Amino acid sequence: MSEKRRAEIPERLEREGGLTPGAARRVARATGVPEAEVYGVGSFFHLLADHEHPVRVCTGLSCRLAGADGVLATARAAGLPVTECTCLAACDEAPAVLKERSVLPSVRPEDVERAAGDWQRLTASTLPQDGPWRGTVGPPRTDPDQLVFDLLGPQDLSGSAYEKALGLDLAEMLELLETSGLQGRGGAGFPAHIKWRTVSEQEETERYVVLNADEGEPGTFKDRELLLRRPDLVIEGLAIAAATVGARDVFLYLRGEFADPWQSLERHLAEAEERDLFSGIQFHLHAGQGAYICGEESALLEALEGRRGMPRLRPPFPAQVGLWGKPTLVHNVETIACLPAIVHRGGTWFRELGRDEAGTSLYCISGHVKEPGVYELPLGVTLDELVEAAGGYVGTLLAFSPGGASSGFLPASERTRPLSFGALAKAGSMLGSSGVVVLNDTVDLAWAVREQLRFFEEESCGQCAPCRIGTRYLRESVDHHRHGTAAEPLGKVADAAWQMNEGSICGLGQAAALPLTSALKHFPEAFGLEPTSDGDAP
Amino acid sequence: MSERNLITLNGQDVEFTAGETVLEVAARHGLEIPTLCHDPRLDPAGACRTCLVEIEGWRRMPPSCATKAMPGMVVSTESERIARHRETLLSLYLTDHTQDRTEAESYGPDQLFEMADRYGAEQDWGAMETVRAARPGDRNPYVHFHPESCIVCARCVRYCEEVEGVSAITLAGRGSKTTIATVDELSLLDTTCEMCGGCIDVCPTGAMAEKMPITRTARPERELEKVRSTCNYCGVGCQVDLNVDTAANDGAGRVVKVTSPPAGTTTNDGNLCVKGRFAYDFVEHPERIQVPLVRGADGELRAASWDEALERAAAGLLGVKERHGADSLGFISSSRCTMEENYLMQKLSRGVFGTNNIHQCAAT
Repeated sequence: MSEKRRAEIPERLEREGGLTPGAARRVARATGVPEAEVYGVGSFFHLLADHEHPVRVCTGLSCRLAGADGVLATARAAGLPVTECTCLAACDEAPAVLKERSVLPSVRPEDVERAAGDWQRLTASTLPQDGPWRGTVGPPRTDPDQLVFDLLGPQDLSGSAYEKALGLDLAEMLELLETSGLQGRGGAGFPAHIKWRTVSEQEETERYVVLNADEGEPGTFKDRELLLRRPDLVIEGLAIAAATVGARDVFLYLRGEFADPWQSLERHLAEAEERDLFSGIQFHLHAGQGAYICGEESALLEALEGRRGMPRLRPPFPAQVGLWGKPTLVHNVETIACLPAIVHRGGTWFRELGRDEAGTSLYCISGHVKEPGVYELPLGVTLDELVEAAGGYVGTLLAFSPGGASSGFLPASERTRPLSFGALAKAGSMLGSSGVVVLNDTVDLAWAVREQLRFFEEESCGQCAPCRIGTRYLRESVDHHRHGTAAEPLGKVADAAWQMNEGSICGLGQAAALPLTSALKHFPEAFGLEPTSDGDAP
Repeated sequence: MSERNLITLNGQDVEFTAGETVLEVAARHGLEIPTLCHDPRLDPAGACRTCLVEIEGWRRMPPSCATKAMPGMVVSTESERIARHRETLLSLYLTDHTQDRTEAESYGPDQLFEMADRYGAEQDWGAMETVRAARPGDRNPYVHFHPESCIVCARCVRYCEEVEGVSAITLAGRGSKTTIATVDELSLLDTTCEMCGGCIDVCPTGAMAEKMPITRTARPERELEKVRSTCNYCGVGCQVDLNVDTAANDGAGRVVKVTSPPAGTTTNDGNLCVKGRFAYDFVEHPERIQVPLVRGADGELRAASWDEALERAAAGLLGVKERHGADSLGFISSSRCTMEENYLMQKLSRGVFGTNNIHQCAAT
């Protein structure tokens, strides 16, 4: 029981207005958890630890390219209680600003000036008068039969996919999943049917399903659009998963900055309950409190349990030992949202939608393209095809990140490579969460690398040394290089990067050096280095 | 049974018992695997990453402290990859660590420097400024936190929670700013801390250090002579190591620190309390009574032999019994006595003097 009380810590601290003096002690008394531990939890999460800045300007790569520095300077000059923050999952509407727990899109310095020093009056002129803002999605809805998510289509409140799934036994459902070829869309591309099978095979019968909606990989904002436009697919997918693996409780972990998607989900859950669509399944909404690492599934489970979001050692995997030690199926929003279509139309239909891998994908594209947004295209399209859907390039392509900051940078020569898990892995990169960021030749790539490294430094959980120290060491090395403040500043970065990849506990640290190592390999001239004959980093 | 419980360790088939970790099996076979965050009393954390080994079929090197031996495992504790891992990890650690070894060792032994030497890690990767917060206003008299030496292995935090059950300290903050903190950055005196000093004892790098002035100005611990003794503050019988600076006091020596023997070697399992660990400066106190004293006819105390002192006490007590009866006497023994000493005390009371007026101060 006390373990369940511990889970209340983040929400109770939120109600205290963050980690204000005395708050940890009060929450400790209410939950029975030692006060130092409560303090440790609160101090881990940005939204709780920093309770003095209700306004935060995203200074991620896409937002800085779009003028975040000007917004920040204007806000500081106006005396607003403002600070910087990492990615707000609004790279398509950059620069984004967080006001308390709501994201304002495409904020301009003029918007800040209009607030006249009162942060509560801060708003974005692009905000619609009625309802939440939404980003651009595409392509135009020509053939809904070729779409899995159909972001522009109507919501389906019939629950018919769930009904149909209930008619399948476990073996049939697992076979359907296997035939579909569905891969986890959160980053790893792990075959979904293996996870489902593992959870189903555990002796422990108390099992959980967890939705990972802690979207935070720079360049990624598809969960936001899915939750805003098609919460029906997400909730029905979760119900199908829960019924299949024998879970009664489903936990939805949304990043705390997602006020609008949260409301969209709540509205839909109320509607589903009214219609009694998924009786016997309890949905529990949890707000993240500002920590990119909680998108890592074991860190997310720690956060759900009310602990510091530090990833767990594996094995055991969450499918074996997950939330409160029980077998837990954790899926990304996009993965879960594929299920209704797979159940309705079959595994083969889904598989054949893709090019070299199964299904369609929600590609997020931002940076130097004409129409940044979320585009549902066959898995395995090329960058050129994706950018064509997004209205074309702005300027001349220099480099791109195919799957968020963690995927590093690829040169323009890779523009015809399929954007799929397998094809990008072969190029030493990854599809990740399919957050594509395009950079044209006006960008100083060493600067762009530095920005991505800074992101990982900010968001490292601090648990293990390779990541905690390595992310900072690389960023400082690049700073020394750019400012000429050390002799041979890049002399040890290859060793440090090797150590981060080999020594880190989780995927954050293992991938965090990639922005630098990929840039040194593909763009040595950006660091004043000569390309080597084999094209490898010197 | 034994056939199934076999792993291959650096090419040798070795037995293990169910539940043993790879680190434990390796240690039993005399193989050295470096560790910093490991403590046999704590749940493995796998956080310091120094103990990674290779296991055939595993893509990533797992921490041996947290990996249970399984039948058929093929484990390597030495390879080119492991050597490069240890070297680069230690080099990286040192960039976020004080560069001043002499200063670091004035706080306590620093295994990071020792390990970097032992594994030939480069020590010239540059130095970054420490961004871990200290707790400068903490007015507690015993425990000092020196963030420049901290490697954030959280052994202190886990010890405080898992062994002491106190949870006075926590990991706080995130990323490179992650530090060891108390609730609201309060002084340890204003927390649940019992000042046992276990955090100092488990710290591998001297980041948790003693504030005691004698210790702080002493020579590095590795130059001190450890003299095993029994703590006399209570009857538990904890073993302590008196750390003696043999050159002090003109060669007479001086106790400058008390440490606990390693976990698993004595009944106190590496633990001590505030008195055992910190209350040792009485040893050199000028008013310390070192021989029995008896009062002379002039009313002044003078030094005496034990025989004379005991005789004087016995005569006095017997005189009281003669004049006023046995029940005019009462015996109170100290909580610093052992059970056996307490038994003898009641024997003295009942058998020798003939009274049941016997009490022990911890009995109420």
